[in-house]
This record gives sequence, structure tokens and C-alpha cells, in this order.
Amino acid sequence: MAEALVLKQLDLELRNIRKRYGSFIAVDDVSLKVQPGQFVCLLGPSGCGKTTTLRCVAGLEEPDQGGILIGGREVTGDPPWKRDIAMMFQDFALFPHMSVARQVGFGLEMLKKPKAEIAQRVAEVLASFEITQLAERRPGQLSGGQKQRVALARAMITEPRILLLDEPIGALDYSLRETVMLELKALQRRTGISFIWVTHDQNEAFSLGDLVVVMNHARIEQQGSPEEVLGRPRTAFVAGFIQGNNVFHGTAGRAQDGMLQVETPLGAFTVPLLDLATPAPGSPLSFSVRAERLIERADESVPNRIALRCVTVEYFGAFRRHVLDGAGGVVVKYDQFGALPQSIREGEQITLGWAAENGVLHRAPPA
Amino acid sequence: MSTIRAGSPAAFWLALPAGLWMVVAVVLPVLLIVWVSLWGGQSVSPDSPITFDNYAHFLANENYRWLILDTLGQAAMIMAITGVLGYCIAYFLTVKLTSPGWRTALFLAFVIPFWTSTLIRAIAFVPFLGVNGLLNQLLISLGLIERPIQAFLYSRLGISMAQVSLYTLLASGPVVYMLSSIPPALREAAMTLKAPPIIVFWRIILPLTLPGIVIGQVLVFLNVLADFITVTTVGGNKLAFLGNLILLFYEGSQIRSTAVVSVLLMILMLAGVAVALRVVDIRKLGS
Repeated sequence: MAEALVLKQLDLELRNIRKRYGSFIAVDDVSLKVQPGQFVCLLGPSGCGKTTTLRCVAGLEEPDQGGILIGGREVTGDPPWKRDIAMMFQDFALFPHMSVARQVGFGLEMLKKPKAEIAQRVAEVLASFEITQLAERRPGQLSGGQKQRVALARAMITEPRILLLDEPIGALDYSLRETVMLELKALQRRTGISFIWVTHDQNEAFSLGDLVVVMNHARIEQQGSPEEVLGRPRTAFVAGFIQGNNVFHGTAGRAQDGMLQVETPLGAFTVPLLDLATPAPGSPLSFSVRAERLIERADESVPNRIALRCVTVEYFGAFRRHVLDGAGGVVVKYDQFGALPQSIREGEQITLGWAAENGVLHRAPPA
Repeated sequence: MSTIRAGSPAAFWLALPAGLWMVVAVVLPVLLIVWVSLWGGQSVSPDSPITFDNYAHFLANENYRWLILDTLGQAAMIMAITGVLGYCIAYFLTVKLTSPGWRTALFLAFVIPFWTSTLIRAIAFVPFLGVNGLLNQLLISLGLIERPIQAFLYSRLGISMAQVSLYTLLASGPVVYMLSSIPPALREAAMTLKAPPIIVFWRIILPLTLPGIVIGQVLVFLNVLADFITVTTVGGNKLAFLGNLILLFYEGSQIRSTAVVSVLLMILMLAGVAVALRVVDIRKLGS
């Protein structure tokens, strides 16, 4: 039986884009494919190139090399007003001299829609974002949450193929963020518009994204589903950037039965090779262990053990975090879940360990 | 940091010295001029009866009525030219010029000439515009003209060129300030909403810089109306505007007519500011 080949057009494709400012490389060889209706989060520390990448998609920056396709059409070199995108800016970028209604209708006005149609669509959109009562206000008279809704309404009214969001909730009060995140996720699912969401907050990225793209130093370190990135960080950077990981650096030792010995300044540890090729003995590598996978007061039955001294204990409600010091200045985090009574005192000497299968060897060797 | 509330005794005492100075140096002289302009009778003295005859007499003269219109016309022309030119310069400096070094350098080159006095700058136009002046020599050496153009100096053309040069900074400065306070994201947001640059300018940039334009226009208007130096030095004695008429009457010891023209000039200026305030509330700026 012949396989029915359905070629779904990608909403966005970045092909090896590169952008430099003088000697500073802002985006280096970034490639990305966004499926229709996908929620993509670009995650990374400030200065990693995530915002520049977004601005290249919008056409606000032009990459020096590489290609950008929106809906399968080459748009590299096209100005922003000729691209099928809309963008939400970090501080919303509302026009201070326009009423909310005028502002929200601006995009349709630019598309030269008839006045009656604009008025009707604006009324609909204001109603759906529950901001009808703000129609005649100016941005100066709005709260942070209201501004965010107006900015979103203004961007969504033209029904773009892709909505670009640059830290869209970063300017909101902390208490508002979770609600707004849920609303935006629901909106994205309802409309089927692809979202590309830039953030430095991993909670946003992992809870919202279908695809999480972790960037560092202008490059993509890893892209994948939240489960993939969280469960199997590809590099020491990704592992270290994700909260609750302990990253160990060392060199490859013997490999046997799918297990690799890793020599570190703290001793030798056994780490599963998984699907990775056996590295040459002595080659540098790194692996990580999640802080909640550590075992207190590990005895001989636990293959990987470290002697540590507890420095601080913090209680977060859901878990208790212990920060411990080891030989050579290494810092280890141990998270204890379940409302257990405190079992390690600050200042106490203790041996922690972990089961061999809980070590995650990173694919890419440390640079 | 302690704050001083408006209307409190501390605020009153702090405002008193400046207030007294304003009363002595501005309010009283103005009232004096208004009073003198109303003196009637044959003898020029404080005993004169109060009357509007001086105004009626002045305004009855067709030449003087024409002079008022001509002064306003000159102001309007200079405002239009400096407005457009000043806006272009401001736009270039703040928007088009991305290198901070060049921006500072050009801005200083633009501003430093204004550290010299108006009188010196006005006089400096004489060797520039004269028959053997720089401008004529330049045009001749470029082969654009064969003989010097007489009309540059001692003409309305010369006065206007000098005034445009003198007052463009006034039209430009407030626009520079307004332009640089517009976040770049506004322009970008408009572009992502499908607005091409000309529409972005028309719908976003221009409305947001309107207060700056109006303030600049007010400054140019007031300066052109008050300008008698440029008109005297660059215009020779061929031309006169209201400002020169004040000087003329004063030198002719016609003290009542001097006062009348002064008061009329002040009324024109106040009217100009009032019109500008109707367009934008200048007092709300910077808040």
C-alpha cells in the first residue's frame, strides 16, 4: 500500500542563520524548524542570542548569513511589514497617543480593511480579551496586566501565522504571571497560531513549550520536548542551566556492559553510556545527576558515593534543598521531597550517593 | 528627602526672592510701558489723560498695519522653513545616526556656534552674504553665477537666510528631545503591525513629536518677532519690522509711539503662545 505522503508546510524554518555586531557574534549557525501550531520556547541566559534570533524572524534584524522561511516562503531580506508575523514586545510597546480601540485596530487599518469591518473586529477582539471597558482609555491609564492584554489583542487581531513573544510576561507582577501563562497557552491551543516565546525563565519554557530550544553563547545547545531536555540534557551547560542538576566534569575511563567509569577529582563514578559511543579513555566529558536522585547516608550497596559537608539547608515547601561542599571546592545540591523532618544538619559531614542509572552522560563533550 | 508642599509657608518664602525680582524687572516695566502707551494730550508727562488715541492713531496708518502683517508673514515664513529643516536635522541626529560618537560630534558642531551672542552671529553674516562675500565667491568659483548677486545682503533674502540659520536650532532642539524619548520598540511594533516606514512616521513618530514641534515654533516665533539686530545688520536700513519700528520711534524720542508698538508686539507674542497652548499643553511635558 502506497504511503500517503502529506507534506505539512513548516510555519517557520531557520537555516543556519548567523548575525554579528562588529566582532560580537550574536547568533551563530542557528537552525530551527517550527511545525504548524507549535509552541516554541527559546530559553537561555541574557545575551545568549535568543532575542536577536526572534528579531531576525520578525525582520527587525537581518541575518548576515542563512535563510528564513515563513510558511515555506523565503522571507530573508523582507522588511517586517511584509512578513506574516506579529510580535509582542517586552514592555508591550503600546502607542501612548492612541486609545485602546484605535491601537488594537491599527494592524487591520494597515491591511486597508474597510472601516466597518475594523470596528466590528475590534469589538469582537476586545470582548474576547475582556477589555471592552478599556476601549477609550490611553495606555497611560492602564495597569500592567491590562497593557499586556491590549498588546496581545493588538498582535492577534491580524491573525498572523506566527506570534513572536519577547519575554511577554517579564514585565508583569509575579502574582499575575501564572494566570497569564495559562491564558496564553489556552489561546495558542485555541487559535493554532505558532508561538515563539523568548524567556530566560525555565519554568515558563518547560511548562509552556512543545519544543524547548536552549541557547548559550549565540548557539543552540539543545532542542527537544521539555521531557527530552529535562531528562537528558545534551551538554554540561544545559544540565547546569536547568535547576536541580548536579554537574560533574571528568575523563573517560573503562567501559563495560554499557557502563562507563568516569574519573573525577572526587573519585571514580559509574555512568550509563545509553546510546552513546564509547569515548576514548582519557577524553574529557561531563555528566549530571538530579538533586532529588541523591541518596542520604549511602552505604557500600550504592556504587557512586561522595563525602560532603552540609553548608545550608533551605525549606521550599515542596522540598528541602541542601547545599553541600566536597573536595576541591565542588558544590552539590540535594533535594529531599516529601514532607520529611530535617535529617541533615548544617555543618554535618555526610556521604551522599546515587544509583548508577541515575547519572546522565552528556552527548557533547565540554568545550 | 524632604519635600516642600505647594502653598506651604516654606514654599512661599522660597518663591519670594524670584517673585520680587520678576515684579521689579518684568511686571512693573511692562505696566509702565502700557501706562505710557495710554498717555494722551499734548505734553508727554505722567499728568496726561488716559486714552486709546495713540493706538487708534497708529492703527489708522495703512503703512503700519501693513508692517504688522509683514512682520507676522516673515515670522510665519521663518517658522515654516526652520520647522521643516529643524525636524529633518533632529530626525537625522536622533534616528538615522546610530554611531554615538558621530551623533555627539555633529550635535556639538550644531550647538557650539550658538554659544556666541546673537549680535555677533548676525554681524558675521555681513562678510558671508556681501557682494564680495564668501557665498558669492563660492558660487562664482563653482561657475554657477557670473557676477556677484547683490540681493544676498541688505535684502529680505539675506535677512531670511540669516534668521533661518540663527533659529533652526530653536526649532530643532525640542524635537531632538521628543524624538529621543520615543522608545525604539514603538517604531518596531508599528512595523510588525504591517506599517511601512512612511506610515510609521505619519501615525506614530509625528504625533508623538508634535509637542516638540510646537515648542520649537513658539521659540522661533518669539525670536523672529523680537529680532531687530539681524534686520538692522543684514538688512541695512532698507527693511524694518515691528522690532525696528520700536527702535526708530525711540531714537526719535516718540516715547508714546514706542510704547504703543511695544505693547502691540507683546500682544502678538502672547496671542502666538496662546494659540500654541491650545494645540499642546506645554506645561504637561516632562511629567
